[in-house]
Amino acid sequence: MQRILAMAILSLSAVFFGLTTLIVFGKVWREEVQRHRRKRRRELEPKLLAYAHGDAASLLPALGGELRRGDRAVMEQILLDHAQRVRGSEYAKLSRALDELGYVDALIRQLKSRRWWRRAEAAEKLGLGGAKRACEHLIPAMSDEMAEVRMRAAKALGTLGGTSSIRELVHALNEPNRWSTIRLADILTGMGRSVVDELTSYFDSLTLAGKLAALDILGRIRPLHTVPWLEQRLDDAEPDVRARACHALGCIGDPRTAPLLVRALDDEAWPVRAMAAKALGKIARAEAIDPLCSAMRDAEWWVRSNAAHALRAMGPRGAEALEDVLDSEDRFASHQAVLMLEEMGVIDQRAQHLVGGDGGGRAEAEMFIKRLIAVGQIGRLRALAADPANAELRAVLLQLLPAAELQTEAGR
Amino acid sequence: MAAARILIADDDPITTRFVSSLLEGEGYEVLVAEDGEHAMQLALQHLPDLIVSDLVMPYRDGYEVLRALRNNERLTAIPVLILSMKDREEDIVRGLEEGADDYVVKPFNARELVVRIRKLLRRTKTRL
Repeated sequence: MQRILAMAILSLSAVFFGLTTLIVFGKVWREEVQRHRRKRRRELEPKLLAYAHGDAASLLPALGGELRRGDRAVMEQILLDHAQRVRGSEYAKLSRALDELGYVDALIRQLKSRRWWRRAEAAEKLGLGGAKRACEHLIPAMSDEMAEVRMRAAKALGTLGGTSSIRELVHALNEPNRWSTIRLADILTGMGRSVVDELTSYFDSLTLAGKLAALDILGRIRPLHTVPWLEQRLDDAEPDVRARACHALGCIGDPRTAPLLVRALDDEAWPVRAMAAKALGKIARAEAIDPLCSAMRDAEWWVRSNAAHALRAMGPRGAEALEDVLDSEDRFASHQAVLMLEEMGVIDQRAQHLVGGDGGGRAEAEMFIKRLIAVGQIGRLRALAADPANAELRAVLLQLLPAAELQTEAGR
Repeated sequence: MAAARILIADDDPITTRFVSSLLEGEGYEVLVAEDGEHAMQLALQHLPDLIVSDLVMPYRDGYEVLRALRNNERLTAIPVLILSMKDREEDIVRGLEEGADDYVVKPFNARELVVRIRKLLRRTKTRL
């Protein structure tokens, strides 16, 4: 029994010792590899940078005619590190070197690896390295069974650009179950104006989700030449398309679109009216003020709220219009007007005139305060009346406010 | 004539190696700081002719470095070029408002960077 026990202990100790030795050697080996790579990096990087900054057509002469097998991983890392930080002719030279040294072919082969993370890594590196000829191999990777591979391939295509890449990315907008529409939209937006024509050309073949994403992308890129095309979308049968078209037009901000957006304030669908109001706030044209005041009495809360914010965004002209709304019989409209005037600082300014203005200014300010009191929204006035920093204003407001509260109570 | 001395302040060693090699190739003398604090120390010690600075750095960010430079009598005239990944309009405007003389967004075009640096150095020399 004792012998068996001793054997067991010895065996366990041997296994423990063996594992420890393996771990220690593994660590030493990895550190040695890292140290060697750092050393090789220090030697190779200046050669690569001299090539990137210089006039040489090829990197190979600087490397002695060929790249040593043991240096492949180091050189790939150096190339990709620098390619991410520059653009223009030096970026083109780094991309050329990546291809010349055979990395592009190896990465294209790696796109067919059985391991998904190797495929994802290859797609990412091809994009970072600007390997334009890899586009045709990245397009099939957009149908990969793994979402991560698809997304990295999409990102790479977004970096590489080109008509075929754009077309694939635009069509991918049709499959929100396979793609993160937000990330795709980010990729397409990042490609800038080059995607605009593809988005408008293929718009009719997109699903509703794809169309909405496309309109959002146009709103973010803001291409002025698409304004007439977007205006046509305001007559689309689908209310969501009309609403997003309003949004995109607002983002572009062409003042000539104001009349059509004013017309959209009468659309039968409230999301369209709400987005039209918001867009008009961005465009800030005087002719939109009256229709926006009317929109503040809309049956839908979002339309009223967006109209009020739009008037607020118009500065002094909008503030004037909001003051007119104070007398509206529509309680919501007048309450919303008070809220906007408060956020704009108009209430504070007018209150200061109660004590600091001339005779006319004081009378006008008092009229304004009384109108606020009549609306019944006196939260800001109460706060000013409670502020000990301005005793004179406080006294004037306290004279006005009790009467107001009585009026409000009587109104109830 | 002595080569112009340029201080690069950036916590990304790959960027500093790239820019150093680029500027040394153009004949400039290059100093490197890996954070804002170190950049200020080197600036005071060596009085560079120009500073290329990132905005996001440890200890003192680029904006703080700009403010410290502009508030220091010895360093206030040194032109500063911001080289940053921050590409939003408000970042660029803030950088220029805080006292930067030029702003280049990463990833950057190396030739464009060299030309901008050359112009800034020429302008400073003319002023002196």
